[in-house]
Amino acid sequence: MQPYTPLFEREALTEEQKLERFIARIENGDKIEADDWMPEEYRLTLIKLISMHGISEIMGALPEKEWVPKAPSLRRKLGIMAKVQDEMGHGQLLLRVVEDLLTPYGKTRGDLMQDLFSGDLKFHNVFHMPTKSWADAGLIGWLVDGAAIITQTNMLGASYGPYARALQRICAEEVFHAQHGESIIMALAEGTPDQKAMIQESLDRWWESLLMFFGPASKETTGTSKQDITIKYKIRTKTNEELRQSFFTKYIPRVLSLGLTIPDPTLRFDEEQQLWIYAQPDWDEFKKIIRGEGPRSKERLALRRTSYENNAWVREALAETMA
Amino acid sequence: MNDTFYQEFEVFSKRTPNAAFSHQFSLLAPNKEMALIMAQENFMRREPVVDIWVVKRSDIRGLTPDEKQMLQRLDNKEYRTTKGYGYLKKKWRHYEQQMLDEKEIMSWSGEGEK
Repeated sequence: MQPYTPLFEREALTEEQKLERFIARIENGDKIEADDWMPEEYRLTLIKLISMHGISEIMGALPEKEWVPKAPSLRRKLGIMAKVQDEMGHGQLLLRVVEDLLTPYGKTRGDLMQDLFSGDLKFHNVFHMPTKSWADAGLIGWLVDGAAIITQTNMLGASYGPYARALQRICAEEVFHAQHGESIIMALAEGTPDQKAMIQESLDRWWESLLMFFGPASKETTGTSKQDITIKYKIRTKTNEELRQSFFTKYIPRVLSLGLTIPDPTLRFDEEQQLWIYAQPDWDEFKKIIRGEGPRSKERLALRRTSYENNAWVREALAETMA
Repeated sequence: MNDTFYQEFEVFSKRTPNAAFSHQFSLLAPNKEMALIMAQENFMRREPVVDIWVVKRSDIRGLTPDEKQMLQRLDNKEYRTTKGYGYLKKKWRHYEQQMLDEKEIMSWSGEGEK
């Protein structure tokens, strides 16, 4: 808590003093709210991070929804439908947080959609990938959501209050998603040899995407990285590589315990450095994917655009009811 | 397509009849009725809920960042709280009586009463 400063004194604060106070608040563990003064770099970093997160939730529902009609039982169908609905709900929460940050720029949700369609707003690499089998539905819940839980719990204490509160809700539901995925994987792992082979085949295809999920270790790899800025402003605490390492530590033993093989013969835990040593994914491929040139990028964007256009009449009809 | 016809609503709900309303989050809707529907879809898919309020954000008078600074309390309010009377516990022990503290008194609701 800062000592109280009378109004007349505060109005005279220079930008530099405001920044100083802002940093002091963050250092104190204070939460920044939407209408508080914040440096533009902080606002822009949050907008970029949270709009990417929010739109990824919405794009992430697309590969999974493909499995709703193909789920093997009614219970599985209900489970995956609930998960798809949650992902859209997370998108709603996060876009709401971004909209309040965008107010000074006069931008709205509609503009974010246009940014997505034009390629200015990127979405997570994993959601550019095809899903080929029911094991993918399980693996996404178990390991992709597992990876998301690791990055998102790392931001539960974020200095920006509205984002921290949204993440609180999201992470609670992600726990259900992860267990939903584990339940599918467990059933297959204890099933026929064909079912076991199906999970291994799925893991082989998804491994590289899972490594990419955390982003490159440094900006030298891909040209840009916001990790230093997000750490500086206490939006998160760990680097991309630290998050990837904690993913390995939590999930590799579990993957191996089910009799699966990690498709990387060089993978090992180095006791001396206390680090997992692993083969780097193809980061040029990563750049291509997030640029919108991944295996399913065009189809998923086209689906989103079609649904946005087909539903325009709903938005227009609702506009008439505005009160 | 421009979405500016949507307005911000703040959503409040309570989990049990005895609970206080608590703030859930905000959402965009064109009117109160849609806001209520969206509130259930967005925030009440699982947990029990007994009542929901939606309030147009523009109708809420909140504190500005400057005004919030005035909420800071001086640290001398012990006379208003049981903390300032904690010494009574030892006194009562001297008279071989138990102190009727907050935990004890709040437990006197029917069932819990001894």
